Amino acid sequence: MNSASPLIVIRQLRKTFVLGRSTVHALAGVDLDIPVGSFTVLMGPSGSGKSTLLYLIGGLDRLTSGSIHVNGQALETMDENALALYRRRTVGFIFQSFNLVSSMTALENIAFPMRFSGQNGAARRKRAMELLRQIGLEKRSHHRPTELSGGQQQRVAIARALVNDPPLILADEPTGNLDTSSGYAIMQLLSELHRSGRTVVVVTHDPRMTRFATHTLYLLDGHIVSEAEYEAASKFEIPSEVSPA
Amino acid sequence: MRFFDLLSLISSNLSRRKGRVVLTAIGVVIGTAAVIILVSLANGLQKSATSQLWGISDLKMIQVSPNYGGGEGGPGIVGGKGGGGGGSNQQLLTPQTLKELAALPGVEAVIPRDYLYSYAQMRFGKLETYPQLVGIEAANLDVFEYPLQGGSTELQRGTAVVGSWVARSFYDPSLRPGQDPPPPPDLLGQTVRLEIVKWSNDGQEIRKKISLRIVGVLQETRGEADGMVFVSMGELTQWNEWVNNKRINRSKDGYTNVVVKATDPNNVIELANQINEMGFQAYTPQSYVQNINSFFIVLQIVFGGVGAIALLVAAIGIANTMTMAILERTREIGLMKAIGASNRDVLSIFLGEAAGIGFLGGLGGVLIGWVTAQLLNIVAANYLAAQAAQSGGPPTTIALSTPVWLMLFGLIFATLIGLLSGLYPALRAATLMPVTALKYE
Repeated sequence: MNSASPLIVIRQLRKTFVLGRSTVHALAGVDLDIPVGSFTVLMGPSGSGKSTLLYLIGGLDRLTSGSIHVNGQALETMDENALALYRRRTVGFIFQSFNLVSSMTALENIAFPMRFSGQNGAARRKRAMELLRQIGLEKRSHHRPTELSGGQQQRVAIARALVNDPPLILADEPTGNLDTSSGYAIMQLLSELHRSGRTVVVVTHDPRMTRFATHTLYLLDGHIVSEAEYEAASKFEIPSEVSPA
Repeated sequence: MRFFDLLSLISSNLSRRKGRVVLTAIGVVIGTAAVIILVSLANGLQKSATSQLWGISDLKMIQVSPNYGGGEGGPGIVGGKGGGGGGSNQQLLTPQTLKELAALPGVEAVIPRDYLYSYAQMRFGKLETYPQLVGIEAANLDVFEYPLQGGSTELQRGTAVVGSWVARSFYDPSLRPGQDPPPPPDLLGQTVRLEIVKWSNDGQEIRKKISLRIVGVLQETRGEADGMVFVSMGELTQWNEWVNNKRINRSKDGYTNVVVKATDPNNVIELANQINEMGFQAYTPQSYVQNINSFFIVLQIVFGGVGAIALLVAAIGIANTMTMAILERTREIGLMKAIGASNRDVLSIFLGEAAGIGFLGGLGGVLIGWVTAQLLNIVAANYLAAQAAQSGGPPTTIALSTPVWLMLFGLIFATLIGLLSGLYPALRAATLMPVTALKYE
């Protein structure tokens, strides 16, 4: 992954959770470079640490040790205010469960992040309408999330992620709650974002996503592994449990 | 985040949970209304008490008594170093000391006053009374600024000016039980007979009969003048010399009472203190009013405190509502942070919502408190007017008084209560880790 200068540089990244008396190493020393303008797909089974990695890149969680540099900024040295600013300007986040505010219309949901960047109502509406047109939902601008299908809700969420025009899009299982065709439409939309020059990092179980990716990474037990290792692990059969005598 | 954006976000967040907001705000409404009504009551009582106590002319007056070196006087004596000192610090009100008093800055006049050393009976037709006779060393009573009902305030030999209640104090001694008392006589221009009583050494009652023409009747001042019969000092001194069987030497005996009139009512307390410093005993109605005012301030605090307990309970309600709201909206908080909200933004939103509940409750409370105070005033005015008519006293015009400052205070206080009770839940919301909030189920 050295075709272009890296936007994200991760070194010896560790994240440890303490659950009761046991300690879980969600990420156990990850080294990773993600180039500018790439479409990176992070694959891995549940519990492999891929979502944890995405949240750490997005500045939504604090690492245990190691370093993450995004655009030359070290996230581990930032205070809460600097992290908020980083999330506002650099990152657009897309969630599996959309996370739209149920009391707001599609238009208001899209414009919501612009409130925190201090832009006025007219500018917010203009930008949100522009994005609604881009995702083909301009006629649904005054619909609330409950009046939209899952695919439409995710498109609204993608538009919200784009509203501050961030260079980095992070998506956590964006097709996880969608049917096959809606999921595919979302993949195409993410691919368009990539083609427009943004760096896209997607965490997914869905192997179809790799078709759009410029880079595919595999995570197993908190480590980056090769595709071969990942395939081998996927084929590994769990031995049948020994029944008690 | 812009201020108006913050306000619109807060109002839309509050309006999407109308039922809960209204229920929580009802607590604040009750608390604020209680504070407003109770403090209005204390305030109304204070106004009513102070307005009925003294006429404005009394507020300029300081009554000065000589210090015979004995015990301290009654209530209302301002400061003073007299008392308990035996005869060593005796201070008499001689003509010389009166000059010293008159020379004090802020003194307009020094008017000696004396009372009859015995008692006197006043008769008018069949009616009689036992008046309080006061001699004034001034040609005219107008120095006291008593409002005149009729006649003149000039004090001459053989004439008197009477207070407004003197006529009412006349009674008919031959009246039998069950008979209606006669109406109070109109004394203006009439001549009354005065009989001053003294006793000889062997216990024989001796009476001195005098005719007095009433040349003036004062208006009601609700002060000491209402019950007094004012005569000239020269005449009263003669009567007292007759009672005591000896001449009165003012340079040696002094006056029993002197009224010092201040130029400005605001200087009265200070002037009274100065006179006390000189060794006399100064008494001013203002010190009494001051005591009454401080009593009512305590009453206001106590009443306000009772209302504040209701507000405290309401505050716990707001804290509970906000804590529940934050639990329900944890994912929303996580989302806000993910899309760039700072800790301060989240804190402002939730504090604003809590303050908003307080403000709405305060608004309702102030409104209900004010309306209730007005209604109670109407009810009380009718009741008190009936009471006053029965007892013959002056009618009370006001029972509850709600000044604008109290309403503003109620509103601000309720908002602050809301803000404070939202502090802990809002701080919790603001410091949530975004990832923890987003994964909250």
